[in-house]
Amino acid sequence: MPEDFSLADDLLRQLMSVGEVDLLVGLSAQTPGSTIGHAVEAIEQSVRQYFVRDRVVIVNVSDGVKGEAGASEADNGNQAAKSVRSPGITSLRTIHRVSADFSNPPSAGIALRTILSAADLLRARACAVVSPATFNITPESIANLLQPIYREKFDFAAPLYTRHKFQGLLARNLLYPMSRAVFGWGIRELYSDEWGFSGRLATFCLNQNVWNEEAIHARPEAWMAISAMSSDYRCCQAFLGEKSQAAKGAGTDIVEALRQTVGTLFWCLETQPGLWLEIDKPREVPTFGPAHDLTLEPSELDRHRIFEMFRSGVTELEPVLHSILAPETHAEIKNMVSLEEGKFRYRTDVWVRTLYDFAASYHHAVIHRNHLIQALAPLYRGMTHSFLVEHADSSPAEMEAANEMLCNEFELQKPYLRERWKTKVEVKS
Amino acid sequence: MRETILQGLEQVYSNLGRMIAEFLPRFLVMLIIIAIGLLVALILKQILRAVLRLTKLDRVSEAAGATNVLRMAHLPPMTEVLSRSFFWVTWLCFILVGLSVLNISSLQEQISRLLRFLPEVLVAILVLFLGVAIANFLSRAALLAAVNAGHASARILSWAIRFVILILAISMALEELGLARQTVISAFSIVFGATMLGLALAFGLGGQDLARKVLERYLGTSKKQKEKEPEPL
Repeated sequence: MPEDFSLADDLLRQLMSVGEVDLLVGLSAQTPGSTIGHAVEAIEQSVRQYFVRDRVVIVNVSDGVKGEAGASEADNGNQAAKSVRSPGITSLRTIHRVSADFSNPPSAGIALRTILSAADLLRARACAVVSPATFNITPESIANLLQPIYREKFDFAAPLYTRHKFQGLLARNLLYPMSRAVFGWGIRELYSDEWGFSGRLATFCLNQNVWNEEAIHARPEAWMAISAMSSDYRCCQAFLGEKSQAAKGAGTDIVEALRQTVGTLFWCLETQPGLWLEIDKPREVPTFGPAHDLTLEPSELDRHRIFEMFRSGVTELEPVLHSILAPETHAEIKNMVSLEEGKFRYRTDVWVRTLYDFAASYHHAVIHRNHLIQALAPLYRGMTHSFLVEHADSSPAEMEAANEMLCNEFELQKPYLRERWKTKVEVKS
Repeated sequence: MRETILQGLEQVYSNLGRMIAEFLPRFLVMLIIIAIGLLVALILKQILRAVLRLTKLDRVSEAAGATNVLRMAHLPPMTEVLSRSFFWVTWLCFILVGLSVLNISSLQEQISRLLRFLPEVLVAILVLFLGVAIANFLSRAALLAAVNAGHASARILSWAIRFVILILAISMALEELGLARQTVISAFSIVFGATMLGLALAFGLGGQDLARKVLERYLGTSKKQKEKEPEPL
């Protein structure tokens, strides 16, 4: 549903009293804000340590929910910030705090639009978005996001994290290799809770007529990164340390994750075909800090259940997959399903063709697009199972080499995507 | 005698001549109306087809699953179906108007009955078509949701949803046509009630364990299952 958007009078008043700033850090409110105090503390420490002479504003996009003590989360954050003591390190400038309160929790798209509007109004030179849900946010990680923009004149800074080797498999096996092959920029974390951008990119994105699109509402960051790439803004990656585990234990809805990320990626393909159809070789993205860092602790994952969900999904969704996949790809997958669990491997070439078939079918709208993304879940589980078995004992270097091979496979088969994109395969029902 | 026969023949001949003289211009007018109707219908068909292509109706139809229904019925895409239907409806109207010019009373009565019945037929077809499209969409949505939630009988659930919606659509279409109204309503009530009762009995008596497992799954263990999968992002 389209949402009308305009900055509230109270927020405008606060912004006008701030004046121009050099740096803006936005806190997007998507989860209960119990760590807002910690996040504000980390931002202020970061400013005191790394940006002593610069004018800074913190914009907190809050749902205005009152806490137990009757104070809103923003108030709690401000109180927490006031109690911070950093002996010997003080900013020469006032660190302004602005709160954008919404009566209902705003979507990620609305939160980002508010932050971009504030950045545009205050003529901020470098900005960062930080999620209050990230409990392990540090002053260094915030500085790592802001410095490439502020000092090195980059326009977009994507984060890099230390991850467990079996964490972020959707990013590793799908989002990173596919976006690298298609859009020509190797950004590993297109979907993240933290990222940095320049004031001019903020203004550019703010003026795009996409804010009522459903794909932008849930995960706008990938669209922002792709917009930066497509318009020749300078992009980089910055290492932030360990990936936040705040959501651990809550479980992850894979279908929802696919809808938010793959759905947005396909939507970006659909809306910007002129950008990627002609690109052949990917460009290097400058990286500040290590490009990848994996940890190897043992993990308890139910591989058998993942395989069973893949097998039953492919069998039950046969007519749906028939209308999405090319006949050859579908036949290959059906052959794989008939194998025993121990012998099953999802070959990388079949995986790549699977995704390209899905992207082309999304473009041709062969079925409702939401259904199409949902139909990918069992196949993603199949790839996950294959990955877990293959890399049970792999070292980080071996995993990185395998990931590079997957990226190459995506690039090698890009003509297949072009061909399927331009010519529709007629499916007989 | 002979004169009487000749007079009779003359009468018949003059009557026939007069009837032909009266009928022929009307027949010609009818042919002209039908020919003009054909031309108008063809032009309107081309205009409608162009407009529908501009609005990308086929894409919307594909996304909603309506094109799949058409494919199953060996029909062309939505744009073509609508433009061809419009052509035939327009031309049929002109043909009926042309026939009415002939001034044949029994024919006129049949035409007016047909004209009265035509909207009901069109509405019934539309109801049936929408019913099939909705049944396809909802059954696929249920199938995907059930498969991704790990339910064992996803296809049965999907099929049951399709069946119920199709029965409802067929009943509505037949009722619109006024065919055996009471029988259709009774049949629908019986089929629907029997299905629900059967499901209730099967689930309540025969599937106590299954019911317990389903409830456990929804209320307690689904979180644990999610945890056993790696974090995607």
